[in-house]
Amino acid sequence: MNKKSWIQDMKAIPFLLPFFVAYMIFTILPIFKGLEMSLYDWTLVRKMEFVGLDNYKDMFVDPHFWRTLWNTTLFVILTTPTMVLLALGLALLANINSKLQTFFRGSFFLPSILSVSVISFLAIFMLQPYSGFVNTVLHSIGIDAEPFWMADKTLAWVSIVVVTLWWTVGFNMVLFLASLQDIPEQLYEASEIDGATRWEQFRHITLPQLIPIGRVILLLQILASYKVFAQILLITGGGPGGATRPLIQYIYEVGFTQNNLGYAATMSYALFFILLVLSIIQLRSQRSEER
Amino acid sequence: MVKRLFVGIFGLVLTAFVLSACSGSGGSDSAAGGENDVEIPEGATEVVMWNLFGGGDAEYMQDIVGKFNESQSEYFVNNVMQEHEEYYTKLLTSIGAGKGPDIGIAHTHVLPELVNQGLVTGLDDIASSVGVKWDEFNQNILDATIYEGVHYAVPIDTHAQIMYINNKLVGDAGLLNDDGSVKMEQTPEGYVDFFTTLKDNLPEGKIPFAFSSSGNDPYWLWWGYYTQLGGRGILTEDSLENPKYDIDLDKAVQAANFLKDLYHDKEIIPLNISDFYAEFQSENAATMTSGVWATGIWETTEGLDFTPMPIPNVFGEKGAWASSHTLVLPYYQDANQEVQKGALEFMKFVADNGAMWAQAGHIPAKDSVVESEEFQELPYRNEYAEVASYVNFVDRNIYARGVEEIVVRHLDTVWAGDATAEEAFAAIETEVKKLIGE
Repeated sequence: MNKKSWIQDMKAIPFLLPFFVAYMIFTILPIFKGLEMSLYDWTLVRKMEFVGLDNYKDMFVDPHFWRTLWNTTLFVILTTPTMVLLALGLALLANINSKLQTFFRGSFFLPSILSVSVISFLAIFMLQPYSGFVNTVLHSIGIDAEPFWMADKTLAWVSIVVVTLWWTVGFNMVLFLASLQDIPEQLYEASEIDGATRWEQFRHITLPQLIPIGRVILLLQILASYKVFAQILLITGGGPGGATRPLIQYIYEVGFTQNNLGYAATMSYALFFILLVLSIIQLRSQRSEER
Repeated sequence: MVKRLFVGIFGLVLTAFVLSACSGSGGSDSAAGGENDVEIPEGATEVVMWNLFGGGDAEYMQDIVGKFNESQSEYFVNNVMQEHEEYYTKLLTSIGAGKGPDIGIAHTHVLPELVNQGLVTGLDDIASSVGVKWDEFNQNILDATIYEGVHYAVPIDTHAQIMYINNKLVGDAGLLNDDGSVKMEQTPEGYVDFFTTLKDNLPEGKIPFAFSSSGNDPYWLWWGYYTQLGGRGILTEDSLENPKYDIDLDKAVQAANFLKDLYHDKEIIPLNISDFYAEFQSENAATMTSGVWATGIWETTEGLDFTPMPIPNVFGEKGAWASSHTLVLPYYQDANQEVQKGALEFMKFVADNGAMWAQAGHIPAKDSVVESEEFQELPYRNEYAEVASYVNFVDRNIYARGVEEIVVRHLDTVWAGDATAEEAFAAIETEVKKLIGE
């Protein structure tokens, strides 16, 4: 390494330092603190006693851990594929040259900028029984039913999934859209000369070109969905009777209402581990395909 | 190059995503719990109070704070509103970190946890220096604030669950006596008959009984029935830290089934009403059940002709759910004694001015206030002030918040019709026993 490039590298340090310090204090340090917590009986107020791996042993036989982990996994299974397909569909729609292009882009992305409390409030307003928008529409077209969108076990999941899709699809759509616009025009022109139909163009040019970003979206989506919490807490409260309670809500309740931060940290680590494994698998498979 | 940049950014985003997984919710919008932007008068000692009131009662507390600040110039109470749902989490952690308020508000059922964790200060010395007279308080409430002979809180009210009736709707259905009381035989059958008759005689679309079908409200009503049946509690009361599971299963199940039938079998309470307060307030419901704090709201609703009454005692014994708001002095190692004294002065002021607080609907904690002319002249409160003498507080132990969360979650499955009462209480037993380490 010559002297000049060494100085160049040094110059970067003051720029990196503020973020690095904040990152260490607010992300890396709490991670290790969490690991320490998970080995203790630890309340909201203070450290009690060292319990070794007891919290981890408890976790494996805790039915609520498994139940809430399954709820979260169910949410991932329900939302991830639909999210990718929906985002792709909307991106294609928003990419069509038409007068509505700006309208499509704007309206698909708009919900993403709203906070979770706002979208949850809107969801409740739309879905509440007797006076909610959806049920009122049903009544007005002559359907004499009173579906409990937030209180029925199955419908509650439908509601949460639909609301989440509506809320977050915009961001993924933008990723697809950016990628769509990056596809070189020549490819389409060349294929046109070769006599390819629109479908063949889509199948052999558009889709393959979108695979890399599709992977990114898939991975980000799985990670984000495993962390689902706020909209469920606000819309169904994890109900009815815990039927939609996700893992993070359980972690939150154990930590903050049952005053057991040690066990809460343990389960957080379990979630961390699951996400880590999923990410590694996905990155590995991506790399092996690229080779 | 572009690809490397992309991979780099992607890697960064990914790491942040994975790592923040253990930090809880993505995108939490935590409200800053800072002080209010108020001007502290010169020379006055600031005393910060956190309050959890979110319903109709918040403004009444602000009135009291305002009056206290006007009444003297030595102290200035800075009343900081906190979000109700997360109040205790915030209170516990902030006191533990030495950054909490100078005065906290705590429900009696959370006191054992606060005392046990050493988060609140015993009041006796400071209280006697500012002249708090403990014997003026209602003994039933006061007992809930004493631990090993030490007073840890100044109770300011009892708030019980009661029933409200819309006089016009119930009257039109022919169910009011000449003196304004309801035509209801005080038996389980009489209770159900009252509501069935009401339902049959109400105009189309009106609700006989507006009530929630999930969460705390039905749990409180279950608790009321359970205690009316002679049930005492869920855990034994011999130890704050090591209570035993002690539910009277038959009575618990009977009480739960009674309420469940009101939703399902009798169809008196519509399921999943999103805002049952609004239904009563807009005169769409003939009756509703909630805490006494609703009185202040109905009173200020124009044109609403209502009467509050105790929850009918239909199972023999008198009983109703209740809790009590108390003022506590958070414990800090380097506590400022001047501030603490100001805090106690304020606590005394609130208790002495219980009639002001009663405007929100609450029943004052001081017997002397209940007997005072000022309180007696308030309309409605007399109808239910007697309830305070027989209400049943939840069990005294450090697990109260955890037990409540478990019981509410399982009872919700009963109200929703997804589980039988027997199944719910079997699950409650398993979970509560695990929580208390039995």
